[in-house]
Amino acid sequence: MSVTKPLPHDSGPLHVTGQARYVDDIPTPANCLHLAFGTSSIARGTVTAMDLDPVRTAPGVVAVLTADDLPFANDVSPSIHDEPLLSVGTVHYVGQPIFVVAATSHHAARRAAAKARITYAEEAPILTVDQAVAAGQYFDDGPRVWQKGDTDAALAAAPHRLRGRLEMGGQEHFYLESHASMVAPQEGGDVVVYSSTQHPTEIQHKVAEALGVPMNAVRVEARRMGGGFGGKESQGNALACACAVIAVKTGRPVKMRYDRDDDMTITGKRHDFRIDYDVGFDDTGRIKGIDFQQYTRGGWALDLTIPVADRAMLHADNAYLLDHARITSHRLRTNTQSATAYRGFGGPQGIFGIERVMDHIAHTLGLDPIAVRQVNYYHNMGPVRAGKVSGNTTPYGMEVRDFILDEMTEKLLADANYADRKAAIADWNAKNPILKRGIGFSPVKFGISFTLTHLNQAGALVHVYQDGSIHLNHGGTEMGQGLFQKVAQVAASRFGVDVSLVKITATDTGKVPNTSATAASSGSDLNGMAAKAACDTIRDRMANCLAELHQCPVERVRFEDGKVRVGDNEMTFEQAAATCYQNRVSLSATGFYKTPDLSWDRAKGQGRPFFYFSHGAALTEVVIDTLTGENRILRTDIIHDVGRSLNPALDKGQVEGAFVQGAGWLTTEELVWDDKGRLRTHAPSTYKIPACSDRPEVFNVELWDGENPEATIYRSKAVGEPPFNLGMSAFFALSDAAAACGPNYPMLDAPATAERVLQAVKRARG
Amino acid sequence: MYAFDIERPTTIADAVAALGAEDAQALGGGQTLIPTLKQRLAMPSKLVSLTAIPELKGVCVADDGALCIGGGTTHATVAAQAAAHYPALAALAGGIGDPAVRNRGTIGGSLANNDPAACYPAAALASGATIVTNARQMAADDYFQGLFTTALDEGEIITEVRFPVPDRAAYMKFQQPASRFALTGVFVAKYADGVRVAVTGASEGGVFRWTEAEAALSADFSADAVAGLSVSSNGMMGDVHGTPDYRAHLVKVMTKRAVAAA
Amino acid sequence: MATIKMTVNGRERSGEAEGRTLLVDFLRQELNLTGTHVGCDTSQCGACVVHVNGEAVKACTMFAAEAEGAEVVTVEGMANPDGSLSVIQQAFQDHHGLQCGFCTPGMIMSAAALLKDNPKPTEAEVRHYLEGNICRCTGYHNIVKAIMAASGQDVSAVAAE
Repeated sequence: MSVTKPLPHDSGPLHVTGQARYVDDIPTPANCLHLAFGTSSIARGTVTAMDLDPVRTAPGVVAVLTADDLPFANDVSPSIHDEPLLSVGTVHYVGQPIFVVAATSHHAARRAAAKARITYAEEAPILTVDQAVAAGQYFDDGPRVWQKGDTDAALAAAPHRLRGRLEMGGQEHFYLESHASMVAPQEGGDVVVYSSTQHPTEIQHKVAEALGVPMNAVRVEARRMGGGFGGKESQGNALACACAVIAVKTGRPVKMRYDRDDDMTITGKRHDFRIDYDVGFDDTGRIKGIDFQQYTRGGWALDLTIPVADRAMLHADNAYLLDHARITSHRLRTNTQSATAYRGFGGPQGIFGIERVMDHIAHTLGLDPIAVRQVNYYHNMGPVRAGKVSGNTTPYGMEVRDFILDEMTEKLLADANYADRKAAIADWNAKNPILKRGIGFSPVKFGISFTLTHLNQAGALVHVYQDGSIHLNHGGTEMGQGLFQKVAQVAASRFGVDVSLVKITATDTGKVPNTSATAASSGSDLNGMAAKAACDTIRDRMANCLAELHQCPVERVRFEDGKVRVGDNEMTFEQAAATCYQNRVSLSATGFYKTPDLSWDRAKGQGRPFFYFSHGAALTEVVIDTLTGENRILRTDIIHDVGRSLNPALDKGQVEGAFVQGAGWLTTEELVWDDKGRLRTHAPSTYKIPACSDRPEVFNVELWDGENPEATIYRSKAVGEPPFNLGMSAFFALSDAAAACGPNYPMLDAPATAERVLQAVKRARG
Repeated sequence: MYAFDIERPTTIADAVAALGAEDAQALGGGQTLIPTLKQRLAMPSKLVSLTAIPELKGVCVADDGALCIGGGTTHATVAAQAAAHYPALAALAGGIGDPAVRNRGTIGGSLANNDPAACYPAAALASGATIVTNARQMAADDYFQGLFTTALDEGEIITEVRFPVPDRAAYMKFQQPASRFALTGVFVAKYADGVRVAVTGASEGGVFRWTEAEAALSADFSADAVAGLSVSSNGMMGDVHGTPDYRAHLVKVMTKRAVAAA
Repeated sequence: MATIKMTVNGRERSGEAEGRTLLVDFLRQELNLTGTHVGCDTSQCGACVVHVNGEAVKACTMFAAEAEGAEVVTVEGMANPDGSLSVIQQAFQDHHGLQCGFCTPGMIMSAAALLKDNPKPTEAEVRHYLEGNICRCTGYHNIVKAIMAASGQDVSAVAAE
């Protein structure tokens, strides 16, 4: 069976030879126009005058459009229609598109756009959390509060109490391929859109609105992205809509790709958060009550801020059973890029809050930070351990039935030799005045499913041709994660054939409609099941036909090893397909799947928003230079739960990449806006992404040997987002190293740049 | 980028002639100039590429023992060919950018540009190098004149840089992690007649000599010798990558490291 | 506009270029060699690495005119003459040294340049050499493994204890 095999990425041979096509590599049709946006240079105000004549007369320019020139909807928002494609006179952040230029080349369009003369009536921008709170700039009608138990009473009664604040920065996706779209006009006003998107249906929907046509007039195709990470869930809408409007207006094909600095300046990023905590605990570190205040800057438009902030609340417990908890979420409107989806979707921010609390409690009590975590863990899915008496439900009332972090933690600590290394580090630190080592641990329990319940559905379309070759299509998109290969392995397994017989085809809204974004780590869970359903439909039809022809019970038709066995007869899959075709069997089917057992009342913050949880744990050792704050990761050990892996090689790759990206978020990746609201880190020369030399010198990644107790596709689990959180172990290792310098808790904030580490060392020393 | 023509002369004389045109500009390896052009921070009418001139390339040792490097020599070549004669300089060249950048970027281009965070200016100043152009020779002390500013006249080409080889030397760079330019870099060179210390990346005025450290190290060439000195954060650069205080702090730390490594 | 000639992947090629035309744009637009990618435009990410006269350079930070008469090799020219994958290409495939694939051509070209000068690099040398090539997906682990494997070295112990 091809599932569980560590097969390489299906596009590997194309990538290593340069043949894989991204949107910008599709041969450009003759006559193609290229677009560039003219953008706001101020963060907040009104356009008082706009002279676009120098743009219109620039070489190669064919058209210049402002909001007034848009024929139908001027909106690219994925949520509440608050995000005009082109400014309607007010501007809300530096980089907001105001007009769009169509020219004969990419460079000509960019050069022309720079020639606009725009004057503004400037207003003081709202940039910080404090400014937004003071100005009452809330999305979602003010703070949202979810709670469990009686937090105030529990805090008052607790033997120990601690308050603190954690600041964490946002994160630029830096998918290597910047956003791109191409639109080819068709007869009758229809369009075909090629987009680098995680959400073809959303592109179809927004393009249809922009053109004033029904969705059936728009077909969106997406073969692959050069990385997505959530950044291509909603942020591609603007490019696709702009291309579509101009394609229809001019009758010419139109292409747009952002240069890197445009991409970084215009598009949204991970939400940054401030988390204030007030926690009561006993002598063992067991939390008795906790109050979280989560503040996040959502930027100028809503985009996906509500579900992101919700997920931060839903992960405020991470792996810990909280009897009394209150989580308050402040979703703030600021004059910055509209923050958007990014791997983890608020989950990491919520988790980071309570992981800091665990660390802080341990330091206060002089206990091992891992022991404090273990004493707070949810009950195991096995026998309930002593001392845990209050049920096993999350702050949002969901029973945790599949918790496995006890054993995972114990195995990790044993495999990574924690106790000895901790002692060795203490010894080493006692002897070394300048360099200090630290070790950090972080577990993750991550909820799998879209919290907007209706998104948990998927479709697939499968054809078997008369020569036995298989055409596979589903609603998921490929951004490098290996989804296409995993789903192809599922399809091959259902037919009992080699995966090479399965042709993986570009995501296409004309083949599978009404898809959800490939997001929330759900790609293989949803699309794997949908593809299985489609394959099984065809397989059952084939089996019935063959059983009848060979006069044997249908139960005795088996698809395995590239053969079809019908009773005592055996034929190749190709022969079986040809036979079925000749006997007029439909060899094409759709498949559909919706995640079972979900119920979620968002207003109350109660229910079962997740189908299951994924788990993981990481242990990281670092060294810091206390003179400069320089640091490096010496070793990371990870054990991660992907259920019964569909493809261990792809899953391990996801875990490794997610860890490095998560560690980057909390260490080197720093977004800086100046007091005018201009993003100062809008290029890889100023925004530090982990490089090859930044990865751990020793890096052990192991997949937990288990299976999903829920009936997912072949009992596998989602993998995209959960391991991102394991990067936190690197952060807490840095904090531990700083703590080795003195008696105080270092109160390290993220990203822990060298200068911040140096300041943390000073705070530790006092 | 604005439009311009490119010429690729094969002799210094032809290059100098080509640079006589109005708004013509020399193009070395282009690793800084091309990004600058992309941002439209420069508007030359003509670029005169210096990469096709054989006489600008190469590393050799002069009769007086100085290491002579052609202005058009790439960082990769310096890293490889200077290693036997002036290891600290070769190590500096091998730490610029990344391998692909080092295959294009040139010493003459770096010194002519005089980016305040570039590495080579620290080496040239700490070594008391001589900057040789098509027209004259200049001491490094006279050559560097502030951010992106040098004593070069328009159309003047750096043909060679002559480095007196010190007894001991080392360069220590605290990298701005994203660009790998120097957030603070310190080059220490010990000669028979004294020690020179040049600092790049830190000051608003560009590369400078830290004279207090030079005096202290000339008396006692040890890391401890600078322990009692302090660097003021006045005039230090502050940006998204580091505060003036941090840079001032790093000057001393990097100096001590360089002395220890020399 | 001027006509620029160079040898690309062993073939004489020519195309039109302005003075300001970058080598990467010339390769992608004039010669339709779209395997060389533009990731950052500022010579940081390495997705555009090609070989010019045997040396790895960033094609986004070199003018096409400067490659006049040069020998240029792109990722499209890296396979064996019979079309099969070269050792380096096969190693990236076998060791899962790619995810989204956008950085892969630049990685292959940098790896080839490294192994030409240093046929048996240490793991530390590989990491150091790749600092101008950004990958956002893999965490680099399998990329390092692929290059070590391509150099004929045992990779079972790469970065593991």
